[in-house]
Amino acid sequence: MNFGLTEEQQMFRETVYKYAKNEIVDLCEEADLNAEFSTEIWQKLGAMGLLGLPFPEEYGGSGADVVTCCIAGEALGHAGVDSGHTLAMGAHTYLCTDTLYQHATEEQKMRYIPKLATGEWIGCMGLTEPGAGSDAASMQATAVKKGDRWILNGSKTFITNAPVADLCVVYATVDKAKKHGGVSAFIVEKGFKGFSTGKPFHKMGVRASTTSEVFLEDCEVPEENLLGEVGAGFAYAHQTLEWDRSALLAPYVGGMMFMIEESARYASEREQFGKPIKKFQAIQHKLADMKVTMEAARLAVYRVASLKDAGYPLNHLQASIAKAFVGDWGMKMASEAVQIFGGYGYIHEYPVERMLRDAKLAQIGGGTSEVQRLIISRLMAV
Amino acid sequence: MKVQEITGMNYELTEEQLSIRENFKKFCDNEIKVNADALDREDQQVSMKILKENIRKLADLGYLGMGHEEAYGGTDQDLTSQAIAGEEVARACASTFLSAGASCGLFGVPLRMFGSDAQKAKYLPGIIKGELIGSFGLTEPEAGSDAASIRTTAVKKGDSWILNGTKTFITNGPIADVCLVMAYNDKEAGPAAGVTAFLVDKDSPGFSVGKNFDKLGFKGSPTSEIVLEDCEVSEDAVLGETGRGFIQAMQTLEFGRIGMATVSLGIAVACMQEAAKYASERKAFGRLINRYQEISFKLADMMIMTDISRLLIYRACWAKETGNHESAVLASCAKLFASESATQISSWALQVHGGYGYIKEFPIERLYRDAKLGEIGEGTSEIQRVLIAKDVLSKYAD
Repeated sequence: MNFGLTEEQQMFRETVYKYAKNEIVDLCEEADLNAEFSTEIWQKLGAMGLLGLPFPEEYGGSGADVVTCCIAGEALGHAGVDSGHTLAMGAHTYLCTDTLYQHATEEQKMRYIPKLATGEWIGCMGLTEPGAGSDAASMQATAVKKGDRWILNGSKTFITNAPVADLCVVYATVDKAKKHGGVSAFIVEKGFKGFSTGKPFHKMGVRASTTSEVFLEDCEVPEENLLGEVGAGFAYAHQTLEWDRSALLAPYVGGMMFMIEESARYASEREQFGKPIKKFQAIQHKLADMKVTMEAARLAVYRVASLKDAGYPLNHLQASIAKAFVGDWGMKMASEAVQIFGGYGYIHEYPVERMLRDAKLAQIGGGTSEVQRLIISRLMAV
Repeated sequence: MKVQEITGMNYELTEEQLSIRENFKKFCDNEIKVNADALDREDQQVSMKILKENIRKLADLGYLGMGHEEAYGGTDQDLTSQAIAGEEVARACASTFLSAGASCGLFGVPLRMFGSDAQKAKYLPGIIKGELIGSFGLTEPEAGSDAASIRTTAVKKGDSWILNGTKTFITNGPIADVCLVMAYNDKEAGPAAGVTAFLVDKDSPGFSVGKNFDKLGFKGSPTSEIVLEDCEVSEDAVLGETGRGFIQAMQTLEFGRIGMATVSLGIAVACMQEAAKYASERKAFGRLINRYQEISFKLADMMIMTDISRLLIYRACWAKETGNHESAVLASCAKLFASESATQISSWALQVHGGYGYIKEFPIERLYRDAKLGEIGEGTSEIQRVLIAKDVLSKYAD
């Protein structure tokens, strides 16, 4: 076993961390307050090559492996970037563009990936529906072939990036009777007839990543925009779990590092009863627990990433452990960080307030903590 | 910016480590686990006989020599491999793990690190074969977490040292042939320069052993006081240099913390397995209780926490092995998380058993009692938090 980073990885981490500190972090607070997608931040992420990390250079990417993608997310979180920017980046890169990269024809790839990988276009993934969250197989959106087009009908919800997206990978079923086996994937541009998005939701956290419904009303998709095979869509959507359980969790790990540093600094500056509060064991012990949680979460996330790089199929037990741990322990940790800051932790002036709101999503998005336990207990029973 | 194809991180166990896990799993299930209840319950004479047999069986399998040099009969394996084997031993019988670990680890490891060739040749082959049993004498009635406040003294007299003091909670005390005793030879010099470690044979004049404590758990691993009354040992009983004893003890405890994390993990895994088994057999309201999410989600939490404990332990092993600057704090993280997880898991697992968990017919009752030691031994949870917080604050806030 080896838990270290190579020198190159350390340099890459340092570069992303510094860039984020200097260029991005200061813009995050305002984006959070306004609950608006920040084009400025998006362009900065693109300029750094962070919106196309895992794709080969011929498609405008950087050819990074999964561990390196995690390092990028961790470095951004560690620098103090968030309020959903890493989520927007993750949904775009790993849930949308990578699905194209994995299953699209060469022509489709050349048409779309370079635009997405540079951040010129923004991508999203349209899977979840009002009646199909954790239970994704009960999908209602339909696709019917008519001449040289597919006609899509239905609605999607909780679609990260939808209000700003130029392209959406939409999942719809060609035959409900086939359940999973009927689900197919389509590359839908925002200008296609019958495609529209709802008003951005007001969210508790990750407010600078925009989220809305997607409506498909006799939406016309040219037949050459079918993605991969008819009926294989569910498998494609399922494949994104590998990213959901690695690169999309890594920014939370970085956020944990940021929280520890901020809390430790605050505890040494804030005085009560005539001494810095770091001298009180009640505060020290919270910091200790935060450190343990961060180290543990980091191991669980990088295990998924590293084994994917080593060529193993996703180990669902390990993946669900990573997701549940980051979600549940991360939430507890963020709450303790706010507690260390006391009243100041409850107002927007300090970043831990935002981080507590952001942390809640990790227990819900990409499969709730309960679903992770369902998966784990089923795998244990085998 | 372009990122090169990079490799470095590796979460795979080697073929050899995987086969160590398989071998120990099979062996411990067949040879060690079967005696765990007897070891817990039988009277002292019977249980100590079983314990010594267990230790010798594990020695035959090579367990006690995994961390020792080939010259003395060891196989010199990495810490992760030792943790893998240790988890299986602890899963089968925590008492056996503790006594074996106190002998080849707490006693054997400092001997390996600081002992002279003559000292190593005298003790290590016997320890590795399970023929000699060692113990580690640091804790005193008034000095537990605050180990620097020990009161045992060592005074040089001609060619001998005269030791006086009382040690307590000494694992293997009643059965050990030799004890590594920490004593102040120069109180003025303070702990960092005034403590010396001595290899004290049980038949040294003035050395006596108190009675076996009746404990909550780990009943199969004997624990006692050790009393030193003008105990006389020769100059060659000094481990390494005089004045280095406290540092030696602290370095040993870093290994000890990984060991205590490992035994906690083994207990937790045993609890999880017992709970999963019971829940797949017990019916209530017409169906197996593992069909209820109240039960199955508890099992899932046990899986999450044991798995995370294992990762933290392997990371601590790796850090120690590679000389990583965070090795001490990572050992504390592993110990804290694994031990608190084990007590939580043991409580859940007992709860899954309902009334049957509360009687001695099922092993969970013993496991529940055993689990608690993890939060106390080798530095309490409170001490681990103090150490970890100190590390965090030193990095970001001083």
